[in-house]
Amino acid sequence: MQQILYLVQKEFRQIFRDRFMVGFLFIVPIIQIFVLGNAVTTNVVNVKVVMHDADRTPMSRDLIGRFTHSRYFRVVAVEDDYTALTRILDRGDASLALVIPRHFQRDAVNRDRPAVQLLVDALDGNSSGIALGYVSEIVQRYQADAVLRDPALAAPMAGTHRAELEPRYWYNPELESKVYIIPGIMAILLVIVTIFLTSMGIVREKEIGTLEQLMVTPIRSYQLIVGKIIPFAALGFVEMILVMGFVYLIFGIGITGSIPLLFAEAMLFIFTTLGLGILISTIAETQQQALFIGWFFMIFAMLLSGFFIPIANMPPSIQAITYANPVRYFLIVLREIYLKGTGLSDLIPETLSMAVISLTVFTAAVLRFRSTLR
Amino acid sequence: MTPEFAVSARELRRNFGAFTAVDGISFDVRHGEIFGFLGANGAGKTTAIRMLCGLLPPTSGSATVAGYDIGRQVHQVKGAIGYMSQRFSLYDDISVGENIEFYGGVYGLSRAAIAAKSKSLLADLGLSDQRHLLTKSLPLGWKQRLALGTALLHEPSIIFLDEPTGGVDPISRRRFWRIIYELAEKGTTVFVTTHYMDEAEYCNRISIMHQGAIVALGSPTALKQEYGLGTVQDVFVHLITGTTDR
Ligand SMILES: Nc1ncnc2c1ncn2[C@@H]1O[C@H](COP(=O)(O)OP(=O)(O)O)[C@@H](O)[C@H]1O
Ligand SMILES: [Mg+2]
Repeated sequence: MQQILYLVQKEFRQIFRDRFMVGFLFIVPIIQIFVLGNAVTTNVVNVKVVMHDADRTPMSRDLIGRFTHSRYFRVVAVEDDYTALTRILDRGDASLALVIPRHFQRDAVNRDRPAVQLLVDALDGNSSGIALGYVSEIVQRYQADAVLRDPALAAPMAGTHRAELEPRYWYNPELESKVYIIPGIMAILLVIVTIFLTSMGIVREKEIGTLEQLMVTPIRSYQLIVGKIIPFAALGFVEMILVMGFVYLIFGIGITGSIPLLFAEAMLFIFTTLGLGILISTIAETQQQALFIGWFFMIFAMLLSGFFIPIANMPPSIQAITYANPVRYFLIVLREIYLKGTGLSDLIPETLSMAVISLTVFTAAVLRFRSTLR
Repeated sequence: MTPEFAVSARELRRNFGAFTAVDGISFDVRHGEIFGFLGANGAGKTTAIRMLCGLLPPTSGSATVAGYDIGRQVHQVKGAIGYMSQRFSLYDDISVGENIEFYGGVYGLSRAAIAAKSKSLLADLGLSDQRHLLTKSLPLGWKQRLALGTALLHEPSIIFLDEPTGGVDPISRRRFWRIIYELAEKGTTVFVTTHYMDEAEYCNRISIMHQGAIVALGSPTALKQEYGLGTVQDVFVHLITGTTDR
């Protein structure tokens, strides 16, 4: 026990004497929250729309007005020439084109299925999907209002939207990227602090020879492991608290659910990444190698977590792989607890999955560490 | 209760793949003696010492250190010995005093013992005023004496020194050897490797290693007499090349 305390103390001394490291640990989360929270726009505002109104009736003008007044859209032009629309989309001057055909109002009044055409630049599939959601919301609101004014329209309008899809983003009403991104930042920071610092910390001791010096003392390898992981686990939690604090201060977003539960789940998650860190340290001979292997794992874990690409959009074989990715579960758990206040009873599958992965990885790591270091 | 020899190796061998780094060496080290391993780079000195310290399992053969078997009783071996590797093995980025505290703690010394040891060690080294300095700012000679001091904190009965004076100036080397003598006088067994011929002269007994094997073993005087040569250097060159370099 005493040995472990000395190891932890030494580790903290090394970390806090390293100005770069301290800066890294405290400034990086602020920058990430600031930049990612604002820049990664899964919330789509100011989508540029070009309009073509071939009808020029009160009804068509009403529809256009709704786009002009929406904060999600910016109407860049109302184009008279239909053929110009594709050109504008191609140039990227607008990412949506709304075409109101001739006889829109007439068809509506005659109960003859009025229709509008929507051209979407789907280069950025995520954003365009979200923009589409806004469009359908506006169009449906428009319908509903039209029906209110003239109940006779109900029948033909209903025809245009037999199945009414009405998305309500309850916990994230405006699909605010900040809310969505926080769990991602937390996961990334935890991964960095645990995988990278642990593996590079151990490998550095290999490089300078102090690990050998430690191995020749009567210290047990489990003490060495515990002494190495406690500091980085603690740092991971400090980072989490920092992120939570910054997010609250900067964006006013607080945690909805139980903080102890959040930390317990984070602990479970961290065991996997600490284990990976130890595992990497047994493979890598230099810090550079450790860094490369760590990157490899991190990129994979992040890409296959559902953070960047929805898991449902992946081919089945890749989807199968994501089941072994702890980040996948951790992101769900973080979001649920952070945004919805979900309790443990509704997070059992994720928690169990993380527990199984942690146990497997950590056991493998400890066994390998012991055998390579005798 | 005390074993007959401080270190006792029998047919100790270590292969790395097809390469034999230590080729079945046997020798005994008496209590309290300064025992030297003399050999060129690559002779297998470090590999042998690492096996004796429980850092590397032998491919075959056996050895006891302080009476403990290096295979079955590694933990006891580690508690009984001190080891200073050929690489400088203190933490550069913490202070002199913190290094001492850390190694004392890892060896399981009490806080009071660490404080007392630390004070006397710093005084011995003349580093009392520098204990708050980062270790990396010390000159190499001091660092090596500090490393030796930390390896001795738990008062081991045997200390293994792997090329402890590599790369330091002659004055520092002399100081270092003075400490080694003092240790031996107090009864500590010193097992030291070197490729400096003059240092070999300071040892009670030396074993000359060549390509993983021990080619000669005895006191410097006895070896010089046996081969009718004036210095250990001559004996060494004679044994390694079969000629005498004058
Ligand atoms: N881990 C290892 N893997 C492969 N070869 C090694 C290893 N350690 C040492 N050797 C080889 O064993 C030989 C003896 O090395 P070493 O014991 O370090 O010699 P010395 O300490 O006398 O200079 C060298 O040729 C070295 O390359
Ligand atoms: Mg060597």
